[in-house]
Amino acid sequence: MSRKFRGVAGVAVAVLALSTTACASSAPTTATSATASAPAAAGGNAPVTNGVAQVKVTLTNDGGDKCAADYTTAAAGPITFTVENISASAITEVELQSELKILGEKENLAPGLPASSFTVTLDGGRYTLYCLGATPETQAFTVTGQAAAAPSGSTATLLNSGVKEYATWVVGQAEEMQTAVTNLRTAIDSGDLAKSKTAYVNARTFYEKIESDVEGFVMPGFKVDDNKGNLDYLIDMRASNLDEKVGWSGFHAVERDLWKSGRINDATKKYAADLDANVAKLVVVVRTLTYKPEDLANGAAALLEEVQSNKITGEEEEFSHIDLSDFAANVEGSRQAFAYLQPGLEKIDAALVKNIVAQFANVDAAVSKLRDSASPGGYIPWTEQNRAKHRKALSQAVLGLQEPMQKIAEKVATAQ
Amino acid sequence: MTEESNGLPQFVAPEPASRPGSEPSGGSGSEPTRPAPSVSRRGLFAGAAGTAVAGAAVGVGVTAGVMGHQERGAASQPGASGTDTVDLTRSLPFYDQAHQAGIRTPPQRHCVYMTFNLTKDATRQSLQVLLARWSAAISQLVQGKPIGPIEPSRPDAVGTDTGEANGLAPASLTITVGLGPGVFDDRFGLESKRPALLAELPRIPSDVLQPELTGGDLSIQACADDPQVAYHAVRNLARMVTSTAQTHWVVLGFGRASAGPGQETPRNLMGFKDGTRNVSTEADYEQFVWLKDADWMTGGTYQVARKIMMTIETWDFDRTSDQQQIFGRTKHEGAPLTGQKEFDVPDFTLRADGGQHVIDQSSHIALVAPENNAGVKILRRSYNFTDGLNAQGLLDAGLLFLSYQNVPQHFVDLQNKLGRFDLLNEYIRHVGSAIFAVPPAPRSGRYIGQELFE
Repeated sequence: MSRKFRGVAGVAVAVLALSTTACASSAPTTATSATASAPAAAGGNAPVTNGVAQVKVTLTNDGGDKCAADYTTAAAGPITFTVENISASAITEVELQSELKILGEKENLAPGLPASSFTVTLDGGRYTLYCLGATPETQAFTVTGQAAAAPSGSTATLLNSGVKEYATWVVGQAEEMQTAVTNLRTAIDSGDLAKSKTAYVNARTFYEKIESDVEGFVMPGFKVDDNKGNLDYLIDMRASNLDEKVGWSGFHAVERDLWKSGRINDATKKYAADLDANVAKLVVVVRTLTYKPEDLANGAAALLEEVQSNKITGEEEEFSHIDLSDFAANVEGSRQAFAYLQPGLEKIDAALVKNIVAQFANVDAAVSKLRDSASPGGYIPWTEQNRAKHRKALSQAVLGLQEPMQKIAEKVATAQ
Repeated sequence: MTEESNGLPQFVAPEPASRPGSEPSGGSGSEPTRPAPSVSRRGLFAGAAGTAVAGAAVGVGVTAGVMGHQERGAASQPGASGTDTVDLTRSLPFYDQAHQAGIRTPPQRHCVYMTFNLTKDATRQSLQVLLARWSAAISQLVQGKPIGPIEPSRPDAVGTDTGEANGLAPASLTITVGLGPGVFDDRFGLESKRPALLAELPRIPSDVLQPELTGGDLSIQACADDPQVAYHAVRNLARMVTSTAQTHWVVLGFGRASAGPGQETPRNLMGFKDGTRNVSTEADYEQFVWLKDADWMTGGTYQVARKIMMTIETWDFDRTSDQQQIFGRTKHEGAPLTGQKEFDVPDFTLRADGGQHVIDQSSHIALVAPENNAGVKILRRSYNFTDGLNAQGLLDAGLLFLSYQNVPQHFVDLQNKLGRFDLLNEYIRHVGSAIFAVPPAPRSGRYIGQELFE
C-alpha cells in the first residue's frame, strides 16, 4: 500500500542537505555589478551560446518595480533566462508562461542575491514573461521558428497519469477501511473491550489517509446543511462539532464508549453497525470520484492543515489519545498525493520537489521520536502532558512542510 | 531596568502638534523623513478623501497622548501643553542609512519583538536568501506597501502578502534585524565573521530565565504607531521563511516605556517615568551605542532583550512612599528624591538628619546612575507588555526591556549590580533574555548582513 512511500523516502536521504533557494538549481552565475537601471531590449533574436539562447532579465526600481529582458525574441530551441534582482524589493518571482501555464521560473528573488537562471526549450510562438509584483506584471516574449519535437511526454500527461493512479490508491484505502471497520464491529459485538480498542486504532488510519478526498461528502438526496446525509459527519464527527439534531455517530462515538466509559453497551453496538454501513456507502462514493492534479495538490495541503489544526492540538482523539497515529496517517495521505504528482512536478520545479521531499523527511523525523511500540497506534499517547512537551517541535516541522506545499496547486493546475 | 544612563540633565522639549521631520537634531545617524510614497496603502484612500495627508496629521494624529498628559497635570511637565502626537503617514527610509532604523528612531507606540531559531536544515545559502528576502520585504513594509500581491491573478495561487495591513498608513514602522550567536557557530562557515563581542550573556544574579523565552538565532523588532502594522510585518516576515527559521519567542509591546530624543518621558507599568536620563545626544550615541572600526559591523550595535515580569498586584498594594524609595524618584513628577523636578540631577551623597542617604543606595536610580558606574550608559528602548492573566488569575504583565550598546558588558555590569542589590527585585522577575548583533543598514540593492557572504 505504500508503494510510493518508499520511493519518496529513498530520495529524501539524498537531498536532505539541500533546500530551495534562489540558487539551488541554477547555473552558477556571478553577481553582476549593480547597474542603475535595466537596459532597453535590443532588437533581433537573443544571442546563442553553446546552442542555447541567452536572455537576461533584470529587476530594478526607478520609483516602481520593473522587470526587463535584454531580448524579447529568441529562436526556437533551448533558452536560458538569467534573472538578477538589482533593486526591485517587491519582485520575488519570475516565470515564463504560455497563456497561464508555467514553463519555467525562478523564486526567492531579492536585491543583493547573485543572479540565477532557468532553461526551457520552446517552440515558435508567443509567450509571456511574468514578474510577480512588477509593474507591469507581464510582457510578451516571442519565439521564432520551430524547435525539435519534444523527446518525451508532456508534463500534463505525466500529472494526469499520476492522478489516475492516485484515484486507484484511494479506492484501495477505502476498501481496506471497510475490512477494518467490519472487524471493529465484530469485536464490539463480541463485547471484548481490549480487542475492540485495537480494532478501532487499526481502522482509524485508513480514514485519516484519504480524509481530504471525502471530507464533507453529502449523499444524493440530502441538503448540504443536513448532517444526516453527510458521510464525513456520520463517520468522523467529534464532540466539538456535535449536531444535536443528528447526535453522536461514527468512530468517535465508539471511541468515547471504549475509552471514556470503558463499557460496550447496545448503543455502542448500534454505533459500530451504523459505522460499518456508512463506510460501505463511502466505498461506493469513492469509486466514483475523479480528480484533477490541483485536487491532489490542494488535498495534500489540506491534510497538513488537518494535522496542524486538529491533531497536534489533540482535538481529534479526545478519549483514546491516539492523535499521533492519525497525525502519521494524515502525513502519509499528503505524501501519497504529492508522490503521484511528483514526476510531473519535477519537470515544472525540481527545486521545489527536493524541498518538499526534505521537509517530509523532517516531519517524519520529528514524529518518529515519539514512537512507542507499547502504546496503541504505535506512538506515545497524546495527553495534555505529552502535548505540552512535544507539540512545538511537531508544529514547527509541519509548518516547514506546509510552506512549500502551498505552492504546488497553482503549478500543477497550469502545467502544459 | 528604568532610569539613569546619562550624566547630565536634559530639558526634554514637548513634541510639536504635527511633527514631520521632528527627528533628533544634528545627528549624522538620524533618519530623515520623507513624504509617504505615492503608492502607499494610505494612498488607496487618497482619492476618496482628497486630503488624506493633511487629514491624517490632524484627524488621526491626536489620539494617544492626550489623556495621559491631562492626568499628569500641566504644571509638572515642561511645556505640558504640547501633545505627544502621532503622524501615521510618516515613513522612515530603510536603505542607505548609517544605522538600522528602530534604534535611534524615537520609540513608536507599539512593538512586536520576535526571535527565531534556524532549523537544522538551514544552510549558508538559505540563510543568505532569508536575509535578502527579509531586507526586500522590510523596504516594502516601511513604505506602507504590501510585500507582494495580496490577491494573486493566477487561479489557485496563495497570496504573497497576508493583507491585514492593506489600507493602513506606514505608521513610522521600523524593523530591526538582529543576528544571534548561533549564526556564527560551525553551521554556516561564518565563524570568522563573528562580531567581536557577540557571546551568550552570562548568568546574572536573580535571573529566573525560562528556556522557552531565552536565546535565539535571529531577532526582529518591529515597532510602529499602529499595532496592526507592526504585527502584520512580523507575521509576513515569519511566514516567508518557515523552512529556514522557526519562531522561538515573542513579546507584544503595547506602549513605549523609554523616551527617545525629543519625547516626553513615558511610564512603565509600575507608574514611574522610565528613561529620564536615557542616551540622547549625538556624542552619547557615538560613544556608547554605535560600533566604530568594527569591520562589517561598523555602524551596527548589540541588542539585549529581557522579558521582565512584574508582580503587579503586590506592587500596587505597596505604599507610594516605599515605591518612591525603591526607585529613588517621586511618582508623579519623576524628580529624584533630592530634587524638585524630573530633570534635576540626583544627589547621591545627600543625607537626611538621621544620617541615612535621601536616595537609598540600593534604589534603582542609584545603582545604575552613570556617576556610580564610571560614566557608563546604555540606550534603553523598552516597551510595556501584557500576556493577559496568569494561572493564578493575576495580571501577567511587565516590561520588554530592549537596550542597545556597543559593549554588551556594559549591560552585564549594570544588571549584575541590579540583580544583586536592586530594591525593585522584590517586584520583578527576569524570565527571558537574549543578545543579538545588529548589523548596519544595507545600501540600496543590497541586504542586511550581505558582507557575511562576500
